This record gives sequence, C-alpha cells and structure tokens, in this order.
Amino acid sequence: MDTQLIAILPGPIRHLLQGVAPNIQNQLEEIRIRREQPIELILGQGSRFVCSNGELTSHPAKGWKVNSLEMDKMTNLISQHSLYALEEELKRGYVTITGGHRIGISGKAILEKGEVRAIRDISSFNIRIAREMKGVALPIIPYLLGQKKFLNTLIISPPQCGKTTLLRDLARTVSYGNVHMAGKKVAIVDERSEIAGSVGGIPQRDVGPRTDVLDACPKAEGIMMLIRSMSPEVIVCDEIGRPEDVVAIQEALNAGVSLITSVHGSNLADINRRPTIRQMIGQGMFHRYILLGRSKGVGTVEGIYGENFQSLEKVESL
Amino acid sequence: MKIIGALIIIFSLTMIGFQAASMFSNRPKEIRRIIIGLQVLETEICYGSTALPQALLHVAKRVRGNVGELFYLASGFLTHYDGLSTSDCWEMAIDKMWGKTVMKKPEKEILLHLGKILGQSDRSDQQKHIRLAVINLQSEEEEARNDQKKYEKMCKSLGFLGGILAVILIY
Repeated sequence: MDTQLIAILPGPIRHLLQGVAPNIQNQLEEIRIRREQPIELILGQGSRFVCSNGELTSHPAKGWKVNSLEMDKMTNLISQHSLYALEEELKRGYVTITGGHRIGISGKAILEKGEVRAIRDISSFNIRIAREMKGVALPIIPYLLGQKKFLNTLIISPPQCGKTTLLRDLARTVSYGNVHMAGKKVAIVDERSEIAGSVGGIPQRDVGPRTDVLDACPKAEGIMMLIRSMSPEVIVCDEIGRPEDVVAIQEALNAGVSLITSVHGSNLADINRRPTIRQMIGQGMFHRYILLGRSKGVGTVEGIYGENFQSLEKVESL
Repeated sequence: MKIIGALIIIFSLTMIGFQAASMFSNRPKEIRRIIIGLQVLETEICYGSTALPQALLHVAKRVRGNVGELFYLASGFLTHYDGLSTSDCWEMAIDKMWGKTVMKKPEKEILLHLGKILGQSDRSDQQKHIRLAVINLQSEEEEARNDQKKYEKMCKSLGFLGGILAVILIY
C-alpha cells in the first residue's frame, strides 16, 4: 500500500491491512471504515470484510470491528489534529490527502442557516484509492483529433469505471504531447480535487508539464476564469450537468478552446434523458463520445462515437 | 577558620534567597512567553490555517526558553503518537516540561483547558478559546508581577539576613 495512505491509518487498522495478501492490496478500489463495523474492502470483483488475521470474508460478523477510539485517532491523523484547517473539506464531505487519495466522510452534519457548516461525530470513512494508469489514453487519442484541433469530448461512464483516471491521463497525454500530436496548453478545473488530487495547491498526480490546475473551483466559474487568465487550448473538467455549466462550456467553445469532460451514465440513451446534457448534445457541443464500462475489467472502452452517435472503430480494451 | 565558615554560611543562604527571588521574577516572564506563544498560534490557526503540529513548531521557534521547548514537545507528540488525542499530547508535553518552569497551578489549569479544545473546532471557535486563555493568563501575569514586587526584594534580603542570623546564633 501507498505510504501516504498508511500514514493516515491508526496502528491496529494499519497492521490489519498490511496483513492482507499483497495481490489483494493491489486490487483495492476502496477501503470503507465504519464505527463499530468491520472494515470493508471494495475489490474489482466485489466487497469483502477483513478478519482479524488478515483473511477476507463475506460474512460481516467474522470481520474485525473498528472501535470508536480508532475512528477518533483516524480523524486526528487525517486532519493532523486540526479540524479548523479542514473547514471547507468538511463542508463538502471529503478530504484529499497527499498521494491524491480521496477520503469521503460521513457523520452528523452541523447546519447553519440551512447550509451544512461541518460534519461532526464522524461515523464512516470511505478511502477511494487513486490509481494512475499512465498510457491508457494514448490509443484513443487518434479518434479525438480533428484537423489541427482537439475535438470536444464527452466521457460517459458509470461510477467506478475509470472516468477520472481516463480524464487525468488524457490531460497528461495532451499536455506532454505524443506521437499523434504536439503538446498543448491544458487547464484543469478540478472541482472535487480528483483529477489532479491537489494538496495545498500542488497536484499529487502527474498531469503534465503544460498543465494549469484550478483546484476546488466550481466548474462553471472555473472555466470562465481559466479562459480569461490562462489562455488554455484544452480545458479538462469532470462531471458536468448543472445548468450553469452549459453557459460556461458554450463560452469556452466560442473562445476556441477544446473541452474534455465527463458525465455519469451507462449508455448514450441514459445521458439523453438528462435535460442539460441533452441540450448540450442538441447544440452539437461535443464531437466525440467515449463510453466506458467494465465488461473487460475497470476502464474498458466500450465504444467511441462521433457527432451523430455513429460508432467509430472500436478500440480494444485498454 | 571561623571567619571562612561564617562567610560560607552567609554566602550560601544569600544564594538561596536569590534563588527564591528569581522564582518570583521568572514567573511573569514565563507567563508572558506563553502569552506570546498563544498569540502566534492564534495567527497561525486563524489566518494561516496551518495544521496544529506545524503551527506549534512555528511557535516554538518564536518563543525562548522552557516555554518554547513545551510547544516543541507538543508538536513532536502530535506527529509521532499515531493519532493519540490532541489533548493527551498537549497534556503530556505540559507534564514533561512543567517541573522545569516556575509557573504555578492556575497557569497550568488554563493551558490544560485550552488543550481540550485545541484543533477540535472551526477557526472562529479556536480564536475565541485562545483569546480567552490569553486574557486569563494576563490576569495571572498581573498577579505574578505583584508577587514579584512584594517578595523579590524580601527574599534577597531575607537570605542575606538569615545568613547573618545563623552565624550569630552559631557563635
């Protein structure tokens, strides 16, 4: 396991997870830690609980239970004893730690004037393990190139199918340049700190040498800011869908900036049911659609489609 | 021979007097240092949003003597004790250093109370508590200065006079 990940686990949990077989550790997608519940590991093939001897079980009662003390220790380790430094993060419900891993938090929400101010009495952590898959974007780059210009691309994928990983690798590949194209100026609006995994403003993932990251900024506003300030050639952002995003993306396209973005959905019909996305598709904002799935493992490219949803040549699994 | 013995007695009792006097003069100094330290900490937390171990380390660099050491220890405990609660780390640092300072119980109570809140709430709340601790410490400092005025000189002269008295009684 990643040393940065180990550093936020309290002693007993750390020993337990280090006792898990290495090949399982490498497949980990999520570690879910809940107060008074066994630790749940989410692997490619499903969910398992961890027994006290490090073996995996599907029976919750056999799992090793996390007590309140460990939860408090973990809170201290994640926050470095400083909840005040995580005010914004606690409002959003997740923290990005060094290494780019994201920890979702749930507990008791504290409200102020009807808005969530913080989360207290934390009852569960969901550690989403970030994986860098360098090179996964390279085979699909040729499909995304128009005449001298990168085509506006929408990645459609159900959760946990490598959407963010592909976005990140596309950003990196475009930024470095590759056999198909010269490097371009890339700007990332990283609203949820997932793409670049910035901690204290520093990207924890390799997003390329020509990349500017606007961390934790709302997409619509961020896109506008970047167009004005950074003159990017390609803008990367994830999970569009709000009405204000449409205006911002329109603005970006008018400014001649290419856009790579993603949306939740398992097929083309799915996203056509969402009004804002349908509107964008109707206006012909996107030229390429990439559909991800897990038919041959996480991150399988199920298909690449052109403007009118005509299937372009399929790329084999990544 | 007798004269040398008498001088030694007078000298050592005078020194004891001076030692007692220095307790009175050092206490306000140390409280002052704690106050300065807490003010630096407030800035670090409220404006810099610095993580507590880092913030305490910065404070330790700004504050001299045993008080600086106290902040340094607390920072070290926070980083090395595997998520041990903040107040426990803070308490350990205080317990370890307290014997080396001349501060008294009221100051310790104020600091221990602050330790229970340190790092556990949002910035405005942290600020309130640190300011409260500073105000309380200031009143302790005031008192310590009064004590200093009253007793410092007295201790010094008492030591010397006590020495003379002992010599007179012996002979």
